[in-house]
Order: sequence, then structure tokens, then C-alpha cells
Amino acid sequence: MKSCVDDDRIFALATYPARSALALFRTSGEGSIESFASCFSSGKKLLAAQSGTLVHGVIQGVDDVVVAVYRKGHGYTGEEALEISCHGSIAAISLMAEKLSSLGFRQAEPGEFTLRAFLGGKLDLTQAEAVNEISGSRTRRAQLLALSRLNGALSDRIRKDRSALADAMSVIEVQLDYAEDEIGGDTTFPIERIMEARNDLEKLARTFSTGTLLHAGARVVLCGAANAGKSTLFNLFLKQDRSIVSPIPGTTRDFIESDCEISGIPIRLFDTAGLRESSEQIESEGIKRTIALMKSADLIVYIVDSASPEEGYLDVKARIEQQMPDVKKLFAWNKTDIDSSLPKPDGFLQLSAETSEGFETLCNAIASLISPSDFDCEQDVIVESPRQHQSLCDAVSALDRVLEMQKRSENLDMIAVEMKEALDQLGYICGELTSDDMLDRIFSGFCVGK
Amino acid sequence: MDYDVIVIGGGHAGIEASLAASRTGYSTLLITQSLDTIGRLSCNPAIGGLAKGNIVREVDAMGGQMGKLIDATLVQYRILNRRRGPAVQAPRAQADKFSYSRLAKETLEHQEHLSLFMDTVTGILVEKDGRTVCGVSTGRGHSITAKAVVVTTGTFMDGRIFIGEYDAPEGRLGEERAFGLGDSLRTMGFTTARLKTGTCARVSSRSLDFSKMERQDGDEPIEPFSFDDDIVQRTQIPCWITYTCDRTHQIIRDNISRSPLYGGKIVGKGPRYCPSIEDKVVRFPERERHQIFIEPEGSGTDEMYLNGLSSSLPEDVQNDFIHSVPGLENAQVMRPAYAVEYDFVFPTQLKLSLESKLYDNLFFAGQTNGTSGYEEAACQGLIAGINAVQKIRKEEPLILSRTEAYTGVLIDDLVTKGTSEPYRMFTSRAEYRLSLRHDTCDIRLTPKADKLGLCSPERMQRLESKLDLIAQLKQVLKDSKFDGMNAAAALKRPEIDLDKISENVPEVNKFSENIRELVQQDIKYEGYIGREDRQAERFLKLDNLIIPPDFDYRTMEGLSEESREKLEKILPENLGQASRISGVRTSDISLLLVYLRRRNG
Repeated sequence: MKSCVDDDRIFALATYPARSALALFRTSGEGSIESFASCFSSGKKLLAAQSGTLVHGVIQGVDDVVVAVYRKGHGYTGEEALEISCHGSIAAISLMAEKLSSLGFRQAEPGEFTLRAFLGGKLDLTQAEAVNEISGSRTRRAQLLALSRLNGALSDRIRKDRSALADAMSVIEVQLDYAEDEIGGDTTFPIERIMEARNDLEKLARTFSTGTLLHAGARVVLCGAANAGKSTLFNLFLKQDRSIVSPIPGTTRDFIESDCEISGIPIRLFDTAGLRESSEQIESEGIKRTIALMKSADLIVYIVDSASPEEGYLDVKARIEQQMPDVKKLFAWNKTDIDSSLPKPDGFLQLSAETSEGFETLCNAIASLISPSDFDCEQDVIVESPRQHQSLCDAVSALDRVLEMQKRSENLDMIAVEMKEALDQLGYICGELTSDDMLDRIFSGFCVGK
Repeated sequence: MDYDVIVIGGGHAGIEASLAASRTGYSTLLITQSLDTIGRLSCNPAIGGLAKGNIVREVDAMGGQMGKLIDATLVQYRILNRRRGPAVQAPRAQADKFSYSRLAKETLEHQEHLSLFMDTVTGILVEKDGRTVCGVSTGRGHSITAKAVVVTTGTFMDGRIFIGEYDAPEGRLGEERAFGLGDSLRTMGFTTARLKTGTCARVSSRSLDFSKMERQDGDEPIEPFSFDDDIVQRTQIPCWITYTCDRTHQIIRDNISRSPLYGGKIVGKGPRYCPSIEDKVVRFPERERHQIFIEPEGSGTDEMYLNGLSSSLPEDVQNDFIHSVPGLENAQVMRPAYAVEYDFVFPTQLKLSLESKLYDNLFFAGQTNGTSGYEEAACQGLIAGINAVQKIRKEEPLILSRTEAYTGVLIDDLVTKGTSEPYRMFTSRAEYRLSLRHDTCDIRLTPKADKLGLCSPERMQRLESKLDLIAQLKQVLKDSKFDGMNAAAALKRPEIDLDKISENVPEVNKFSENIRELVQQDIKYEGYIGREDRQAERFLKLDNLIIPPDFDYRTMEGLSEESREKLEKILPENLGQASRISGVRTSDISLLLVYLRRRNG
């Protein structure tokens, strides 16, 4: 009955779970301020802060952040709440989420902030229909529907693991429900079964990064000297994908961005202002922004005009490689359709944005580089929701404790507590397991009773 | 009014109900079909066991009698699951059946404000308002009035026993069923159905060859079930173990069609947790043998109970398969095994107080409500008796939460979910079993009983001194060092126990075994217990959100039809209970939460 508990502290990422300039986390629940202050460099200031004020500080080992404070009665939910802005990198987002979990904040269920706002009298309660719709989205059935719509295979797999764990649990429970001499059947501790399910669940949890990528997309920045053919390539990408929104011209910024898809991965594509030959001396604001954009990208494609390469392009390549170690990069030797094209140097991909020769190779290279190392295109099962991911991780760590305790020969009744925790976590994803279900397993699996 | 409270039935529920009511000073009448069978152990001669032993101690902690009865009459004592952890350890004792029953009757006879009367209740009297119960009518034509009535009819309501092709209208072998009450209740509007249970054959001890069996002795020292008893000194008698063999199974398989269960004569559903031997053979064909426990029915009798051989096969088949078991070759059967089918009242027709929803001042307890087991019956009887009095006093009923007693789990399960087979308590039914240890029942429950007037001053003093000693020992450990660290912290390590610590900290030895054990568990599992406490706290928040009895689910917009039907049928008393009704959607619980919050402002 986790979902109708409304007196603990919850959190959620309010912005898109993708790389961006800033990310915003939102918390709600009594004790939010005190609990967050315990890890915050400006803790004292935060504790004293009034509603509606901002406090800047550092969370050791995570990020420096700005916190907006809402005392009880203020803010969206009407509960004591915080809005925490941190840097928008994937790493910062996940560190922040881990931190909040470790402070005892619980990942909010879909619609939970809104539900709390209703309960707190912050929203009009007479709209019963709306309430139902919100709480409705929180139902197991809706969860399952959503699950099967998005990914039927995921719930199948989790259910399979859960069923294996429930069987393992019944081996433990039968020993707790019956005296030593009343059980007929095998009661050796089911390490193997638990291990197998644990490993599968961990594998599933790891697909979350893939899921996030599929959900949020990767940032790909096209750069190079003026006239290198960036815009032609940009348009080629957009032409390939009929689902694109019309490009947004960079009015105040010196770049154009648009969404497209490469090998099924959603991409946010940026066409930038030309880099000057000697980008060492940063002169224009435009170049400054282009470089900032490149640094924030998941992948950059540096394009060189093979017919008239800018001077020192190899130096630029070397500098990019050196200065942006975290960003993946590709180097394209463009305009190879032109007769005066020079031979392709090492480390470049042959391309003609004009005739689209070499474009497929480029696309494949992009797809394989931006996919996480364990990205599996054939993977039929992908975890996309942070809440599911959290539950999977919690289940895996509970199972780790089970195996650890078993190694130390701790008492079965304590091990059962951790097993139950793992099953409960999986229950949040695919429905609870009642004590009657457990007894059914016991009675069907063991010849019990005097 | 002739009495304040009438209790129908003298079984384990009836005993506790009548004592609870009379001990608080309310005039009580216990009516039973036979004064000679009060407190009879109809099935196995044992009290306690996993989860059940906890219930016995819960009943005792609240001023009930079961713990004292078994302490005084036990012939063997064991602590089960010693190796599996404190949360699931429990005491079990073999009882001297005759002494147990005789002592139960004697206790009732000596109880002030309590009268006993032999007759069969055939109807319930209702006031002119058509809603308030005011007494009973009996087979011999008496009408006896009372302010409250507690029904504890066990397996006797329209009971029928089966032995193969033979069947008889009896509630126990040779004892007439209670006829009339079932019809009367159905006429009043109650829904009933059939359940089935069974018991094993009794054989003569003289005819057994114990040399072919394993001997099973009891544990010493005996830790009393009752918190009032310091020591129990009883001579222990051994039990014996033997096994069925291929031939046993073959005989059963060859004759399975002669079982009324497999032949379709019995319609009631039997308990899966306590299967008959024919069930075991059919369902687990791969098992080469099944264990049989041979348990004495008492110290002054030759009858031995063949635990594990419950059956409803004909007597000639029973004789054959019994004789195929090593050690039982020449066994002389004194009473055959038999199945019994009886009426039970759907417990979803009851409130958490065990009062019926249909009629005021009418309470139900025990096997009538679909449970099985002496202990399960006793705890319901106690609660029904207490709440009958509370109702007369116009005070709030005693409702135990799932977080504080197996009794609470049991009643909540029954009235919220109902049952389709005889309901037995298991530790796995409880969400917070670490908190339901048998050695802490008094700490959790005695203060509640005290408030209701069910506790002697001495009992509260004993509890206070126990709490004091626990605190003292914890302080000693906090102030001492062991292995270079705080002794309390050292105790948390799996390989360290209090005995080990006492080598360095001799002060520990000043405390009794009970206190040491309790403190050891408290400290060792502090982390888990703390986590469970926090979960329980959250759980209780839902239970504390009361749904007013007049709450109109039809005014709730957006509630699914399926949930509305279920909610209107069960009429949950709080949000927690509502959330445990099977088939009620989580979204509807959220919605209900919103409405309740609005109502409460």
C-alpha cells in the first residue's frame, strides 16, 4: 500500500531526464528541509531560510546547487518542499537522485505531487473526476497497461523473476510456518534460484541507461569551418526522418537545433556557427557558444571540406580530442563527390552530404558511439521509468543482503525480512504478492502438517 | 434480563468468552449441549506450536485461561524452531486431555458471576426493533434473556461425521450435533456454508511396538505459557515417531474411491495445511514415506493419537493401512479417524469487534467463524467476550491491530477477506512478525487488559518489574566493554551471544534466562525491529483513518463499481482494512483517502 501513504518525503526529477543546462529536482513532505540540510554546505542557512528564498551551496561529492525553499503551506503541494537546481549532466542527475534516496526521500509515483496538492487543499478538490484520473494513473492496472503498451516483455520478465523468488521464499517460509519435523520436501536454501533472479534483475536495471537514452535522446553537434557542409548534412539528417518537427532557427543563439532519429535513437541535432581556423583565440561570442555546445554534447561530428580543407584542421582535430575527452567524436571528410577532393586522411570518415554517399556509414558510427556500452539493439526489454529502475535496484540490493546473510548463516526469520523487501519492490512494478499467494505456494510445493 | 451475557458453547472459544465477561463482573451464562465435554481437545492432544503458541501467550497476556490450563496439565513441552530465529520460535505442549478438560470445567464452575447450563440452543431472540439480540431459545423450550449473546458452536452446527460409507449427524464422534441454530441464523439473514476437517485414529498403547519407533522427548526447562507462572514442574512423557511405507500407500490408493472426500459425499472444503493421509498420498505420489507422530492422550490413559494419519476412509481400510506401519502391526484401534463437516458463518458478516453487522449485541467466535485450532478459537472467544461487555458498557470495543498481535491479524483477515478453508494461523500471515514474539506478548497486551479490568494488580506489578529488569540489563551492556567494544554493540555480531559476553561481564548472570533471552533478541535484531517498527507506524496511519459507519459510497464520484460493491459489502472500519479487501483497487483507496480527508476537514 505504498501508493496511498502520503506522509513521507518524496522526490522527482521535474525536468527531462536528459543532458541540458540545468536539472530541477523537486521534493515534498515534512522534514524535507531538515533532511536535506544534513548533506548541504549551507545547511544552517537552509534551516533558517524563509519560504520563497533561494540558498546556494554544495552537496559534497555531488554538485553545487541552488535550493528554493517552501515552508509548509506554500508551494505546489502545500507541504514543506524544496526545488533543487543542479547541473544538467546525466552524471549530476543520477548522483543527485542517489543522494536524495540515501537521505530517505522516496521516488514519487506518477501523479503523486498532484495528489498531495489535492490532499493539501492546494488544488480544487471538487473535481473528483480529475482526482480519479490522477490516482487512476497510479493503479496497478494502469501501471500494467502502460507497461504492456510500452513493453510487455518487461513485466513478463520481472514477473518471471518474481515468481522464481516467491518460490524461493516459500522454501524459507515453510520452515518458519512449520516445525522442523512437520515438513516433507526439500528445504535447502535456494541460493541458485535467488542468484539467478538477482542477476537477471540487475541486468534489467542496467537497461535503464538504454531506456533513458531511448526516452530522452542524445545530443549530437555538427561543427567545422564555415562552408564545410554542416548545413547540408543537417538537412540530410532531417530529410531522412519524416517525423521531425520543423527546425527552430537560433534567433538569439548562433545555432539551429532539431529532433531526429538515428537507428531508432532519438537525437537532438545542432547545426553550429562555423569555427574559425584559429579557434585558439576565441573572439566571437558565437564561437564561444559553439565550443560550449560541443562540450555539452554526447557526440560531435567535426566536418572538413575535402576539396579545400581549412588550414590546421589536423591541429583542430587534435585539440578537440585532447580538450573534450568525455565527448564522443567523429570526423567527416566531406564533399568527396567533388573532383578536386583530396585523399582522406586517417581517422576520418568519407562523406558526401550532397549525394549522401557515406551517410549510412556515418549514421551507423553515430549510433554505435552514443549507445551505452551495454546497449543492446536486440534487447527486447528496456526499463524506462526511474521509479521502476529504483525498485529494481532496491530489489537487487535486498537480494544481495539475503545472499550475504545466508553466507554468515544468519537466522531464517531475518533473511525472510530481506526477501520480503525484494518481493515488495518487485510488487510495486507488477502487483503485490499476498500472504495467501505465499501459502498457496507452500501447500502446493510441500507435504506439510502432521 | 436473566443475564448480561449468554455464551453458546463450551469449547475453547466459549471458555474464554464466558470467563472474560464474568471476570469483569457481568453475570454470564454458558450453555452447552454437554457439561462433560467442556474444554475438550477434539483433535490432537497438543496446545501451541508456531504462531499458535504466540496466540496462547497473547490470550494469557490479556487475562485469558488457555495458558494456565496447559501449564497445569501438560505432559510434554518443546520450543519449536529454536534454530530458525526468535521471530518464529514458539512453545508447544502435549496436553493430558482429560485433566485439561476437567480443569477447564472446574475453572468455569469456580468463577464468580458465571453459571453453567446444559441444553441445546436452537434460536436467537431478537427485540421488537428487529435488530437487537436479547437472548436465546433452547431445545427443551427455555427462553433465556440477555443483553448480549456470543455464538461459539465449533463443529457442532449441523455437524456430520464421515467414516468411509458411514455417516452420522454428530459434531464429534458419538456426540449429537446442534440442530436448529443453523436454520435459525439463516432465517435471520446470515449466510453460512460448509467446511470440513478431520481427526486421527486413537490406538491402544499396549498394542504398539515402540522398539520400532524413534523416541521424541520434551525440552527442559519448561518455560511457562502463562506470564503469571514462574516455573512449571511436570513429569514429561515421550512421543514416538514412525513412518508409513509403500504398502500403506498402496492400500490407500486401492481404496481411494471409498473415501467420502473423493467420492463426493463431503462438499465442505478441508484444510490444505493439515491434509488427510489420503490427500498426502494422492498429492505427493513421489514421497516414499510420511512421518507419523504417536502422541499420548494423557498420563492416565492408554489411548495414543496417530498424528499424521487423519483419514475419512472406512474402518476396515484404516485398520489395514495402520497395520502396515512399522510398530503398528498389532495396533488395536480404540477410536477410528473420521472427517467432520459443519456449518460456519461467513466471517465477513462481522465487525472487527466480532459483533455481527446485521444484529446488535450478537457476537461470533471460534470455529463457527471458519477457523481451525484451539488457539485460534480461544483468542476470538476472549475478544468476543470482552467486546460483549464493552458493548453493554457502551464503551469502545477492543480491536487489536495487525502490528501488535496474531489475534489482530486473525480477526482482520477473517472479517476483511473471509475464508474458504478452515483458517489456521501462520507466521507468514503477519506482516510484522518480529514485533509479535511470544516472549513480549505481555509487554504489548497486558496494559490493554488492565484498562479493561482483566488484570490483577500482581500481574501489572510483574510486568513492571520485567520491564525494569530489561532496562537494567540493557544498561549493564551499554556500560560494559567486550572485545574492545561496547558490549551491546558486540552482541550484534552474529557469532557473539550473551553467554559469551557473560564471561567478561559476570553481572549478566544475575538476570534470569527469560530476561537474558529477550534482551539478546532485542539487541541483536534492533536494526530489523526498528525498520519494522517504522513500517508498522506507516501501516497504522492508514488503520487510524476511520471510515464512519454511515459513510455513503454512492456519493463518491469516480469510484469503480467493482470496488463500491466490495466496500459496501464489507463496510471496512478504517482505510487500512479497506485497502486489504481483495479486489478493491489501489486507485479507489486513494480516492477514498481524499474523501475522508475532506470530511475530516
